[in-house]
Amino acid sequence: MDSNKKYWKGLEELNKTPEFVEKNKHEFAEPIPVEEVLEGGSLFGKTPRRDFLKALGFGVGAVTLAACQKVPVHKSIPYLIKPEEITPGVANYYSSSYDGHAILVKTREGRPIKIEGNPNDLLSKGGLSGQAQASVLDLYDSNRTQNPKQDGAEVDWDSIDSFIKGELSAIKAGGKKIAIVTSTINSPSTLAVIADFIAAYPTAKHITYDAVSYTGIIQANQNSFGKAVLPHYNFDQADVIVSFGADFLGTWISPTEFIGQYVKNRNNKSLQSKKMSRHIQFESGMSNTGSNADVRIPIKPSEEGIALINLYNAISGTTLPGSKKLDNLPAENAIAVAAAELKAAKGKALVVAGSNDVAIQTLVNSINSLLGAYGTIIDLDNASNQFAGNDAEFVELVSDMNNGAVDAVFFLDANPAYDYHNPNAIKAALKKVRLRVSFARNNEETAALCNIIAPNHYYLESWGDSNSLAGYYTVVQPTINPVYNTRQAETSLLAWSNGTFKEYYAYVRDNWDKKLLALGGLTGLKGWETLLQTGYVKGADKTATAYTTNHDLTAAAQIILAHSAELAAGKVELQLYQSIAMRDGKRANNPWLQELPDPVSKVTWENFAALSPVYAKSLGLEQGDVIKITANGYTIALPVLLQPGQAQGTISVAVGYGRTLAGPVGENVGQNAFPFNTFRNGAFIGTAVATIEKTDDQSELAQTQTHHSYEGRNSIIRETTFTEYKKNPYAASGHFDEHKTYSMWDEYDHPTFNWVMAIDLNACTGCGACVVACSAENNIPVVGKDEVRRRREMHWIRIDRYYSFNKGGDLITKESEINQLSDANMDNVSVVYQPMLCQHCDHAPCETVCPVLATVHSSEGLNMMAYNRCIGTRYCANNCPYKVRRFNWFNYWNDARFDNYLQGEHTQLVLNPDVVTRFRGVMEKCSMCIQRIQAGKLKAKMEKRSVKDGDIKVACQQTCPANAIIFGNVNDPNSEVAQALKSERTYYVLEELNTQPGVGYQVKVRNRTELEA
Amino acid sequence: MRNISLIFKQFSKAVLLTAGFAILGFSAHAQGDATKGEALFKANCTTCHKIESQLIGPALGPLVTAETDDKWLIKWVQNNQALIAAKDPKALKIYNQFNQQGMTVFGSLSDADVTNILAYIRADWKTQQAAAPAAGAPGASGATADSGPSSLVIWGLLGVIVVAFIVIMVLNKVIGTLERLLLRGKGIILEDEVETEDGVAKVPVDKMAGLKHLAKNKKFIFFVILCGTIACGSWTWVTLWNTNVHTGYQPEQPIHFPHDLHAGVMKIDCQYCHSGAYKSKNATIPSLNICMNCHKVVKQDSKEIQKIYAALGYDPKTQKYDSTKSRPIQWVRVHNLPDLVYFNHSQHVKVGGIKCQTCHGPVQTMKEIYQYSPLTMKWCVQCHKRTEVDFSKAGHKGNAYYDNMIAVHDRIKRGEKVTEASMGGIECGKCHY
Repeated sequence: MDSNKKYWKGLEELNKTPEFVEKNKHEFAEPIPVEEVLEGGSLFGKTPRRDFLKALGFGVGAVTLAACQKVPVHKSIPYLIKPEEITPGVANYYSSSYDGHAILVKTREGRPIKIEGNPNDLLSKGGLSGQAQASVLDLYDSNRTQNPKQDGAEVDWDSIDSFIKGELSAIKAGGKKIAIVTSTINSPSTLAVIADFIAAYPTAKHITYDAVSYTGIIQANQNSFGKAVLPHYNFDQADVIVSFGADFLGTWISPTEFIGQYVKNRNNKSLQSKKMSRHIQFESGMSNTGSNADVRIPIKPSEEGIALINLYNAISGTTLPGSKKLDNLPAENAIAVAAAELKAAKGKALVVAGSNDVAIQTLVNSINSLLGAYGTIIDLDNASNQFAGNDAEFVELVSDMNNGAVDAVFFLDANPAYDYHNPNAIKAALKKVRLRVSFARNNEETAALCNIIAPNHYYLESWGDSNSLAGYYTVVQPTINPVYNTRQAETSLLAWSNGTFKEYYAYVRDNWDKKLLALGGLTGLKGWETLLQTGYVKGADKTATAYTTNHDLTAAAQIILAHSAELAAGKVELQLYQSIAMRDGKRANNPWLQELPDPVSKVTWENFAALSPVYAKSLGLEQGDVIKITANGYTIALPVLLQPGQAQGTISVAVGYGRTLAGPVGENVGQNAFPFNTFRNGAFIGTAVATIEKTDDQSELAQTQTHHSYEGRNSIIRETTFTEYKKNPYAASGHFDEHKTYSMWDEYDHPTFNWVMAIDLNACTGCGACVVACSAENNIPVVGKDEVRRRREMHWIRIDRYYSFNKGGDLITKESEINQLSDANMDNVSVVYQPMLCQHCDHAPCETVCPVLATVHSSEGLNMMAYNRCIGTRYCANNCPYKVRRFNWFNYWNDARFDNYLQGEHTQLVLNPDVVTRFRGVMEKCSMCIQRIQAGKLKAKMEKRSVKDGDIKVACQQTCPANAIIFGNVNDPNSEVAQALKSERTYYVLEELNTQPGVGYQVKVRNRTELEA
Repeated sequence: MRNISLIFKQFSKAVLLTAGFAILGFSAHAQGDATKGEALFKANCTTCHKIESQLIGPALGPLVTAETDDKWLIKWVQNNQALIAAKDPKALKIYNQFNQQGMTVFGSLSDADVTNILAYIRADWKTQQAAAPAAGAPGASGATADSGPSSLVIWGLLGVIVVAFIVIMVLNKVIGTLERLLLRGKGIILEDEVETEDGVAKVPVDKMAGLKHLAKNKKFIFFVILCGTIACGSWTWVTLWNTNVHTGYQPEQPIHFPHDLHAGVMKIDCQYCHSGAYKSKNATIPSLNICMNCHKVVKQDSKEIQKIYAALGYDPKTQKYDSTKSRPIQWVRVHNLPDLVYFNHSQHVKVGGIKCQTCHGPVQTMKEIYQYSPLTMKWCVQCHKRTEVDFSKAGHKGNAYYDNMIAVHDRIKRGEKVTEASMGGIECGKCHY
């Protein structure tokens, strides 16, 4: 079966809009304005010619004068007393922990420059999310609060301490409440510090408040099993996964971990043993997880609860009171099929729901109990500590503050003034609190309302620990001296509670000595030092019990049905979601994340209102039209994005944008959607009835999806079904296709190494972590929204997202068929992700057209790029069929028009000193992390051994939580990459052009059987 | 012309005579046997003295040359303590000048021995001084050696131009005379000749006429322009080639660190201080704690060592560090590669087994460090192309990394010489990323 399925990247490409056609005529969307200069008689008029000569003369003179200056004298300043472990030029790695994941922090000359996953990490096995990769840049954020502040004035720590101690003892005497508001803390030492503080001030209470909370699941487990915990999910144990709006590969609970688990049943290894999990997703907006699903059914938020009730009915064989059929026929059919499949895979089947509604989660618990998922797939005994937010407690605190019952409030990693559903209530309530202390690192919305700001260390400057999973303890150790005059929040709390410990480090040591080191069989100083090297200890797992529940669901069903009816009563149903780049918006000031294209929409630098193209057409809306969305009495204006696959009559908006105080990068980017949340039944719910109002405004989205066109060539993506694959593993790989290939060039010899890459399209979930890792490793400039609109983003690796239509189980192959499709098919699209980077072709079209030999081939199979040789003709980019070359339109590192991290006094400290920053007017592209290859070879030479497979890992491969990218030397037949490329599914993009790419892809396989909408 | 040559002859005679007398005068001074003196000097004095520079004791060359009273010097060498005790003014002055550090008493040396030593010191100092101007600009010779056309070529060209000019002048003259003869034969008399025959002395007019005549001579004009173009062109060419090439760059450093003493005389291994060269891309400038390994004790009183103490906030009396007073030393960077190129010392020093001197020059003789090699890409590539990789050498022998490489190259090259270039060492991406 040849791949002649029709793929398209965006609606403009599908519909061939005149604008799209015009822009894709040229390699570069905007030509250099040569014509403008030449027109208007500029060169022919009398005066301009003289002016030109004057300017020329002046220019030459000025340049000559400027060149006459002496060569600047460079200073070389060695250490006075060099720390023993530092050798300038050699990187040190320290184990630490990010968000409960064990990580390795790469430091050069004492400054952290890159975060890498610890290969032994229990959760993500060395993979890391884009957020974790980007976190290193936030260390150098010059917008961090640099000194403690009292009422806006910078003061020293001693006066802060004496002031707070005085206030606290007065409050203690008064007997009013003290609240410590934090986001979820799973650090045992921090929790102990808070407990000590509460012991010193008995009216104090620790309230956990998460911007995006999982209270629903925790409460539901309390209802169903009497255990108020967030369970640990093991997706690798599930053969059938049915998800109702849970974006578990993108944002739900622990996505980096879940990607690894999920892919385990879908990657090359699994396929070769003829095994592949099945994943059905019901959701409103197209999420990253939904786009990876084998079958995806768009449903409205109001239909989600009913669908779950029907699924429960189908599985249990009973009928819950009030059950009714869905109006949505395809969804109703899909429920029946899903129920059958789940029942068939009993014990290996899992249902998850993304909703924070306790009733829905209670229902899901009952379904999973019927399916026998507890004890294997869902582990309640070794629970996850990643989220512990209790929404009701925080709501109660706000009303307490309003009543004047609270005299002191401390905010640690919590920013309710931005992400609470009613920010004005927070503002009003805080006015009535006597002592308001924020530990915020940045001047953020909540900190601005506090009278004391005691800036906390960043995690890379801190001591600490975390316990993301029961029994799994990771350590946090500082990798740099504090950049600013900050103090760790725990140290502050210790100081204010007059404990025995003055330094938090001593406290952590003590805590580990007494309680935790023994878990890993370690003791004393030696044990502590071992811990600092390994980064974690893991106690023995408890035996997971196969819980069952007989919880009465009548009440839950009533709540669900009532809420559904409420939602369905309105015209438009609004659904909030987290974008993969921004998540809850805490890292809004991070330019790497702002410029990371959203996996599905490919939009950067803002949030938007996602509408189905068909629905938008019925409302008379087009892409980029700004609409006013009103719900719960709150209104924001957002540009429209036409999102294929979005459920009709729904609108999806990402939270995490619209920060008003975050720093120059993140402020006023997009609009804040958190206030659309509602508080129902003890939890924050992200669905609402909305009204839409069209405005006259237009706003072009900075969307990268149709940049870099393949000019309609259609052998980019190859896809098959699992059924086909089982029949013929070579299915769709084009393996036996006959191409007549012509070559004008000699074959290259790769005598020693031949560096190549294998990318498994079936493993890649499109999360974008590789893009951020590449930016961090290769000093890639951030260009900003306007430049992205001009198609000038600089990412060396991009993730192309392709849509294709499905119709009744057949794949749409012909363009003519597309025109015959009804509008409803726009709902039913499937998505394939493809990481695209320089293919390091052996017969590289770019090399032959370079007039100055700036890009040439190496004996190791790499396509090299010598920046200082490049004169910027851009012929190479024109001639590259993969469109992976990026042109430097500006000196991003010193152009005052760009507020770039490359030029910030502090932020530029994150640059990798082994990679040069590129100059204006030169091309750049993926170098296959040649600095890592060279370093790996040198290490082998120094150790007098040959290069071992796995010695050298490129940045994108290293961070990939799905292990979708494998890099290595194909000359070594035993190397992982050589083995991977032997897979029957391997194909090369645009193979027929005989460019002989060095990057092999493996055919996407979808587990589709009889179920179709 | 004759006048000039006469003057020149007389002048050179005078110079020669003066020089001769001067040499005689100097040699009259040294009556001892310098060869014997050398042996004695090395046996007795070198522990504390050097001829050209201060070691523990003062530099002897200038001192002994300036002091002509040999008898006093003999007394001083044989027993300086006695002189000091006797409150000899000269002796006291020296004693105080060198921090009242007494010199060892050499009672065993006879008067003749000391005379021999003095003779050796004076002779050696003189030869050193004579050699100094030549050695003073080692950078300049280095620059011409490897940066475009050498000075020999330039001077050669200029010589050719001058000779050509003279030949053309002579030919012009000959042609003029012949033409005149020809014209005279035809009975035509030229104007200027007529004027001279008039007997009116118009010498200045004649000169102007000559210049005008010259200015009208197209061949001459062409020649001048040609010469000018060649001169300017070659100057531009050489200048452009050498833009940003800083061979011989020898800035003054904040601390006068003599490499010749440390690496040359004391024979301290380069890597003792530049320890990064073995393990890092940077050879690293040593941090001051390395200096302190020795200089906590050695030469505490030297002005230069005091600078180290000041930088560290170290008090030699109490032997305590005060970090509040410390401030880094800002060395002036001599070897400065542009950011666009990646260079790794350990690759060359540890793996390649290349001596430091190959690129950095005779550091062990440098009083102040200077840039020996041009550090241009041409220079890098030339070495990578020309230097044969010797797989029997320390760096490569038994290095399993090259097992693959050798097999491959044996096959490809069939015993031909293997250079870095043939292993891919001049590919762009090896250094530029």
